[in-house]
Amino acid sequence: MPQIPLTDYLALSAAMFVIGLIGFLVRRNPLTMLMAIELMWNAGNLVLAAFARNFSDMSGQVFVFVVITVAAAEAAIALAIVVMVFRRRPDVDVDDISVLRG
Amino acid sequence: MDAVVANIAPQILFAPLIGCLLIAFVGPRLPRSVSAVIGCVSVFGAFALTVGLALHVWGLPVAAQRIDIPLGTWALVGSAHIGFGLWIDPLALTWMLVITGVGFLIHLYSVGYMGHDANYRTFFAHMNLFVFSMLLLVMADGFLWLLVGWGGVGLASYLLIGFYYDRQTAVLAARKALIMNVIGDVGIMIAIFLMFAHIGDQSFSVVFARTDAFGTSALDWIGIWLLVGAVAKSAQLPLHTWLPDAMEGPTPVSALIHAATMVTAGVYLVARCHPIYDHAPAAADAVAVVGAASALFAATIGCVQYDIKRVLAYSTMSQIGYMFLGVGIGAYTAGAFHFLTHAFFKALLFMAAGIVIHNLGGEQDIRKMGGLAKKMPFAYWTFLAGTLAIAGVPPFSGFFSKDSILDQAAELGHPWLFAVGVLAAALTAFYMFRLFFSTFIGEYRGSVEPHVERVPTMDIPVGILAVLATIGGFLVLPGHDTFSALLSGAFTDAIRPLSLEHFNWALVFGTLMVVAAGIVTAYAMYVISPQLRGDVSRRLSWLRALLLDAYHVDTIYHVLFEVPAYAFARACGIVFERVVIAGVPWALAAATNALGGLSRGWETGYLRRYGLTIAIGATLLLYFVIFGIHGDAAGTH
Repeated sequence: MPQIPLTDYLALSAAMFVIGLIGFLVRRNPLTMLMAIELMWNAGNLVLAAFARNFSDMSGQVFVFVVITVAAAEAAIALAIVVMVFRRRPDVDVDDISVLRG
Repeated sequence: MDAVVANIAPQILFAPLIGCLLIAFVGPRLPRSVSAVIGCVSVFGAFALTVGLALHVWGLPVAAQRIDIPLGTWALVGSAHIGFGLWIDPLALTWMLVITGVGFLIHLYSVGYMGHDANYRTFFAHMNLFVFSMLLLVMADGFLWLLVGWGGVGLASYLLIGFYYDRQTAVLAARKALIMNVIGDVGIMIAIFLMFAHIGDQSFSVVFARTDAFGTSALDWIGIWLLVGAVAKSAQLPLHTWLPDAMEGPTPVSALIHAATMVTAGVYLVARCHPIYDHAPAAADAVAVVGAASALFAATIGCVQYDIKRVLAYSTMSQIGYMFLGVGIGAYTAGAFHFLTHAFFKALLFMAAGIVIHNLGGEQDIRKMGGLAKKMPFAYWTFLAGTLAIAGVPPFSGFFSKDSILDQAAELGHPWLFAVGVLAAALTAFYMFRLFFSTFIGEYRGSVEPHVERVPTMDIPVGILAVLATIGGFLVLPGHDTFSALLSGAFTDAIRPLSLEHFNWALVFGTLMVVAAGIVTAYAMYVISPQLRGDVSRRLSWLRALLLDAYHVDTIYHVLFEVPAYAFARACGIVFERVVIAGVPWALAAATNALGGLSRGWETGYLRRYGLTIAIGATLLLYFVIFGIHGDAAGTH
């Protein structure tokens, strides 16, 4: 089976990250923004896993699990916040949630 | 180390402290007489132990009479080891005997004198605290613990001067005494700092053994700073103003603290530090000059004062001046001897005066006394014994001790100090007999009839002290100097001869003539011819006014220190308080607020804006990490 070169993984990861970033910046629905954040998480995970495989070092993969765990925790909190916001105002637009400005 | 001494000495020190704590914490639950019993018994116990200890130590060979008893470590700071221990030698024992012995007699006297006072327990608790602090002062084996005792007696003195705390004058006098004494405490502290700076230790054994490591200039400075402490505590010029005011305290307090013991702590300090003063000629000269000046200064003021206790206070200052003169010229045993006899006759004078005051319902003005000899014969005879002793009439004790000091001053080559001492002796004879004649001779001038009450607990101590004041001088007789022999163990390293057995009969005779002149003058002015008295006071009215106000020293200090201090405080209240204290925090708050106003625009509250900022920031960070701050890629090196 032909080896997929490292650069391909990195290119895919970069693409995922940029898509996630743009998604986060242009969308105003909090659920969509959360999904964009997940995309950026996983772009990072992909890099870690790719390097781990390339250098035959398992610690990169172990780190992926840590990141997934943290990401799950983050998602749980973020969704809880989103639910609370939904209760107050039905049409959620993050630009409307700007009470805590300077 | 001697086991007997090591066992007894701590008991002597702590007996009065235990008494004080018992009275303070258990006393309120017991009848009030129990507090007095605890106070007297604890001090008497300390006295009995001290007598035993003294007999034991004086039974040892002279070279072994200096005993250092380490009791523990107080602090380890860097390489400096500060121990707590006791230092027993004949000098300390002399003071301990007086503190506990005269202290016990005065405690006993207080049982009667303070009998009607509501704060009876407090009084005995404070008196015991004083005895403990004073014992700590003379028993400490280092300057640091000496300073602890030094501060302790200052505190006890403050508490007891202000004992009648509902009288404003008493409270002010207490405050004045405390402030003056703290000036002295700082002086001693600086001396300790100097010792640490030079040899890194403050214990007597190390400091006195290594005086050559200091150099004369450093020793002089240490001596001067110690003198500052001694001057404040012993009410010598120029820190003497608190002592006359301290007479606001109860009379037993005046007798114990402000006559017999505490005010002689300065004499003890100088005598204790004789290895320093022997090698610090300038500091020693300063001690002698301060003493002589104080002796004359106070004696002149004593000639015109009307308050019986204030006259005695000035005479105390004057007599301590003699002691300073003695220890300043290196005649340590002569100074200590005068301390001993002074403790007897001055405590006696105060307590006899206390009987008079007690029977006159608190009257202290001698213009309202007179003719009390018939009404109070006991007070009359005992006061007469004290007066003869302080005036230096043989064979009363003051004659021997004062003459020892004057004799040594002449012998060691200090003609001016000798002359001042003789002049002060004449004035002493004059003002003491003026006081005596005004109080006991002539017609009674008061308006209230004296209520004479004989209280045995007051009469017994006064009687004992009268005997001691009469015969105490026989410790030094021509050709037979018991006192110096007793003290020699403490002064084995003194450089000047200390024996007092040499009597210069010409000097003795001359001094006696001068003293007689003083007594005759007083007799002429206050017994024979009131007209002569009127003439003299009219002629010298300016001098009289000057002396009545004690050379205006209080006024001078008021103008020199109090007025600027208050002005400075007021200026601070306006400038510092409003500008610095109030202004600086306000300006800081305003600046913070303005700065916040500049950056608050960034906080829009829009989540996507934050995201963009983070993204741009992360990109820039990444750029700089990879390409460096100057744009050349890190990887190319």
